[in-house]
Amino acid sequence: MGVAGSYPLLFAIWLVPLAGAIVNWAFGPQLKRAAGIVGCVAIGLPFVATLAAWGIATQSSGAAVGANQHLLSWMPGFDFGLLLDPLSLIWALIITGVGFLIHVYSVGYMWPDTAIARFFAYMNFFVFAMLTLVLSDNFVGLLVGWGLVGLASYFLIGFWFFKPTAVAAARKAFVINVVGDVAIMFAIFMIFAKVGSTSFVTVFAHVPALGNWLFLVCLFLFIGAAAKSAQIPLHTWLPDAMEGPTPVSALIHAATMVTAGVYLVARCWPLWNASHDAQVLVGTIGGLTALGGALLGVAQWDIKRILAYSTMSQIGYMIMGVGVTAYQAGVAHFFTHAFFKACLFLGAGIVIHELADEQDIRRMGGMRLRAPVAFFAMFAAVLAISGFPGFAGFFSKDAVVFGALEHGFPWLYVLGIVTAGITAYYMFRLFFVTFFGTYRGDLDPAQVGVTNPVEPAAHEPAHGEAHAPAWLMAAPVAILGVFSVIAGYVMIGSNSPWNRLFTQTFPSQNLAVPALSEGWTTAILFIVMAAGIAIAYVRYATPAALADAPARLRAESQRMPAVLVRLFYFDDVIDWLFVRPSQALGRFFGSIFDPDVIDGAVRGVVRVNTELGEVVRGMQTGLLRSYALVIVFGAALFAVYYALQGVAH
Amino acid sequence: MHADLLPVALANYVALSSVIFFIGVAGVVLRRNPLIMLMSIELMWNAANLLFLAFARAWLNNAGHIFAFLVITVAAAEAAIGLAIVVIVFRSRANVDVDEIALMKG
Amino acid sequence: MALVLILLPIAAGCALFLLPRGERTISRLAGSAVAALTFVLPLVAQNGGEFSVRWLSRPFTAALHFAWTGPSLWLVLLLALCTYCAIVATNTAQNRSMIALLLMLEGCMMGLFTARDILAFALFWDLMLIPPFFALIEWGTHRDTAWRFLIYNFSGGLTLLLATAAFGVLSGSTDVIGSTHQFAGSWAPWIFAGFAFAFAVKTPLWPLHTWMPNTYAELPPPFVAVVSAVQSKAGLYGFIVIALPFLRTSMAEWRWLIVALALVSLLYGAFVALTQTDMKRIVAYSSLSHLGLIVLAIVSANPIAIKGALVYIVAHGLFSAALFLILGYYEEREETRSVLKLGGLGAVNPKLAGAFTIAALAALGLPGLAGFAGELVILTGVFRAGYFWPALIALIPIVIASAYMLRLLQDTINGPQLADIPQRRDLTFAEALAVAPLLAALLYVGIYPHALLAAVMH
Repeated sequence: MGVAGSYPLLFAIWLVPLAGAIVNWAFGPQLKRAAGIVGCVAIGLPFVATLAAWGIATQSSGAAVGANQHLLSWMPGFDFGLLLDPLSLIWALIITGVGFLIHVYSVGYMWPDTAIARFFAYMNFFVFAMLTLVLSDNFVGLLVGWGLVGLASYFLIGFWFFKPTAVAAARKAFVINVVGDVAIMFAIFMIFAKVGSTSFVTVFAHVPALGNWLFLVCLFLFIGAAAKSAQIPLHTWLPDAMEGPTPVSALIHAATMVTAGVYLVARCWPLWNASHDAQVLVGTIGGLTALGGALLGVAQWDIKRILAYSTMSQIGYMIMGVGVTAYQAGVAHFFTHAFFKACLFLGAGIVIHELADEQDIRRMGGMRLRAPVAFFAMFAAVLAISGFPGFAGFFSKDAVVFGALEHGFPWLYVLGIVTAGITAYYMFRLFFVTFFGTYRGDLDPAQVGVTNPVEPAAHEPAHGEAHAPAWLMAAPVAILGVFSVIAGYVMIGSNSPWNRLFTQTFPSQNLAVPALSEGWTTAILFIVMAAGIAIAYVRYATPAALADAPARLRAESQRMPAVLVRLFYFDDVIDWLFVRPSQALGRFFGSIFDPDVIDGAVRGVVRVNTELGEVVRGMQTGLLRSYALVIVFGAALFAVYYALQGVAH
Repeated sequence: MHADLLPVALANYVALSSVIFFIGVAGVVLRRNPLIMLMSIELMWNAANLLFLAFARAWLNNAGHIFAFLVITVAAAEAAIGLAIVVIVFRSRANVDVDEIALMKG
Repeated sequence: MALVLILLPIAAGCALFLLPRGERTISRLAGSAVAALTFVLPLVAQNGGEFSVRWLSRPFTAALHFAWTGPSLWLVLLLALCTYCAIVATNTAQNRSMIALLLMLEGCMMGLFTARDILAFALFWDLMLIPPFFALIEWGTHRDTAWRFLIYNFSGGLTLLLATAAFGVLSGSTDVIGSTHQFAGSWAPWIFAGFAFAFAVKTPLWPLHTWMPNTYAELPPPFVAVVSAVQSKAGLYGFIVIALPFLRTSMAEWRWLIVALALVSLLYGAFVALTQTDMKRIVAYSSLSHLGLIVLAIVSANPIAIKGALVYIVAHGLFSAALFLILGYYEEREETRSVLKLGGLGAVNPKLAGAFTIAALAALGLPGLAGFAGELVILTGVFRAGYFWPALIALIPIVIASAYMLRLLQDTINGPQLADIPQRRDLTFAEALAVAPLLAALLYVGIYPHALLAAVMH
């Protein structure tokens, strides 16, 4: 898969963030705010190293592309190594590049927090874990990274560990992700049993050896992918994960970690190419998640939860793309999404900061004047996510939707188009309600339909110093806004730099010419998207609507369909199906079965012995002479016996 | 059988030993004084010893002699422990009737 | 040499009783020095410390034969390390007696783990039950618990002795540990059953586990650290060095029963741990669950799974010792073991919370720490041996483990502060000295388990 050799650059990319984490963890109290500098440098250097490694990542020798560095023999049969090929290169670039911008932003965002060193230790650790995931050259290493990013995510969601909601969200995210981890473990068992190795290059060279387990392997790998990438029905942790600080949501729960599932499917393309059932499964789940996430996004009021559902929906697109074997398209959508979604989250973070931790968009309004940088950057990002022509998301979303048709999945094509319309609607809804009209935060919450206003109390007591320099937060948002516009330009045309990068990574496929050409697809998508924007405009941004905003928002809150407010009842079903039965079983075993049934049986044995003891107790008179008599009598019996024996002979 | 080595017939030794033994048994079973009981036990030991020696002599096998020494040793130890117990009991109760003592009753 | 490992701690333990009753410092220093010595000795002396004296010739040959080669080495090191940590962590008014008993416990278990003779193994099996029994009598809250511990485990010791005698009479010698020959014949399944019963009680395996939660909850923390970390491995070690080399065919006849019991233990322990509120009982039931995995590995008799089992034996020893010591620290500070009465302690003593987090993460099988290496390799081997469904079912407790371990962790260190007790030190130097070696070893074994296996598999 990669050209084997010695590549010190890979170690630099991989280990510098870990070093940053250790420094921040060990010397946190001494570093104070300098922890931010350590954190940024520990991500900036690997970004430079990744760019420098472009050459070795794209080198090829025979069928092998990229660089493969052997690390250690972990256990007999389990060898570890690092692999940097175009696919992991793209991920590493986003992780370190977008990660660097988010780190810089975090310095500003976390400025008042006393635990800033702990924050950057976790963030650097996350980057290390994510790089472990994408740089591993085998399934076990990938699983190690998979588990470690889950841990980093757990720490960061629960960063404000005195908030019960954050603690619960962290636990939920971790446990659901462990479901994914063990699913991947099971896939590894099957792979190891059939192939005898877990390294990508060996496994993908022996796909036929998997025999009729091929679909099962794909299924279990995909359960892992679905848990990490918040695909239905394992998505419920992602919205709750918004309890973490906003930069965390941007880095982990939007740009990088949640796309690990996309990476996994793209990495395992030889398996998916060989199994049509797996394509149907993954494509369908991806398409349904795209639609479901978008529908739920329509019903949310919390700015971060809207973005969370949109993330889920966009990852649905990516999963759909790689699931139908349009790998380049799926990965392309990951690439553009990282920019515009990070931009959206960081912009939202600026707004939230500006309003002292208010997250409900009904209590915002008119923010274009108070947060102009966020306004312009998020405008670009909203257009990008809606797929407006010329913006980054346009190129990749087009490619995914058309890819579904091209690879013979017309129903996913329809799903993709419908979702695009809904996406445009709810993203512009967010944009209009937040930035247009007048500020509603000083109104009575009930007047705008907020029934349970949250008292913001997220930050620990401040250092007592003033705000961070404004550019720390503004500059990353602006840069990401620019990339939300231009990131798609590398994908123009069939001989684009993007396609050239992946020619040797993904196989070229011979596809039938679909019924609708790419041009028609673009046109249909544009019309649907425009319709979505128009509806949002009519409902939220016409002068009349803006004037009447509080009443309209209140009315909408009250009329929201229960099925959307209760999130399609997924949480309830999981609760009733798994959580409650487990607890009931635990209580039954612990307080009834153990003490009554098992110990009851033990007590029964004890009682039988006690009764027997009572029977023989009477013989123990304690009188010496009666014992002596018994002995004499016994001896006499023996004597008689042997005497009779003697007579018999 | 080497009759010349054994001036008295073996049967006589066996008879004497039996008599001594049953005197010992009767002492243990019938008397209530632990001192007498201990002495009776000694009698039984010695009955056994007599047999050991008689047969050792008759069959020219030294194992019997060795066992006799073993028995004497054990008997001495047993007597020492037994007497100690009797003394302790006597001190605490001023009465050594074994029928009055039933500490080991189940 | 091996004799030194056995006799030195026992002699040191007896000698400690010469000190005055309330003595704290000297006993701790001397005890930890002895334990450290027993850790260093096997590392330095590479020859395996062979010692052998003929003991019985009839009805079968037996020898007082001890050495620390193969899997023994790792259990000896684990035992010495855990004893060292336990002694360093001992900090009560009864230091002298507690450390003396700990040393005697170490000596007895050294005998068990270095025994090359099954009869000597059985002898030390019974001996090692005595120090925890006295600890329970002395420091437990219910006398019942002590008797229950003793009777359960001695009944195991009885079947072990019977099986050993039968094995010796039928095969001619019990001086066989370390060699391999399959013992056949109509008695073999019953001899295996005798061994297996003893091992299953000690491990424990469902449904023979009910002595365990109370024992673990009531033993003082240093003791429970050694008992759960190392003594519970005696049964598993017995399976590996006695059942597998000599009675594999008999084990195969009982295969499905053992697989079923192991799976029930795995699930049962996990579900119960999910709802307990006593911190030590949560970890106790998690032990029931985790050790079922090793039984599964052994019964699959797959070489990969056995390697994984050895790694996991060490891993479980390390993290359960660390967990119980840390829970002891919390109990000492907060004077409660109920998670319902705790909360928010991470802000109060962050270093302690950090150590707790690492130990709990190792217990729930986080990649990069030792538990994961064991779980992954065990189940890979079990699956490869053809146990498709057991391997799949055994994954469920891993998910549940993450739920109960995080519950234990978060209810203690996260959330708003519930209890309000003034005395709140962070980890002291001595306390850190006790858990740091365990946590470092967890990391080392997790990152590079090969080092461990290379030594075991010669």
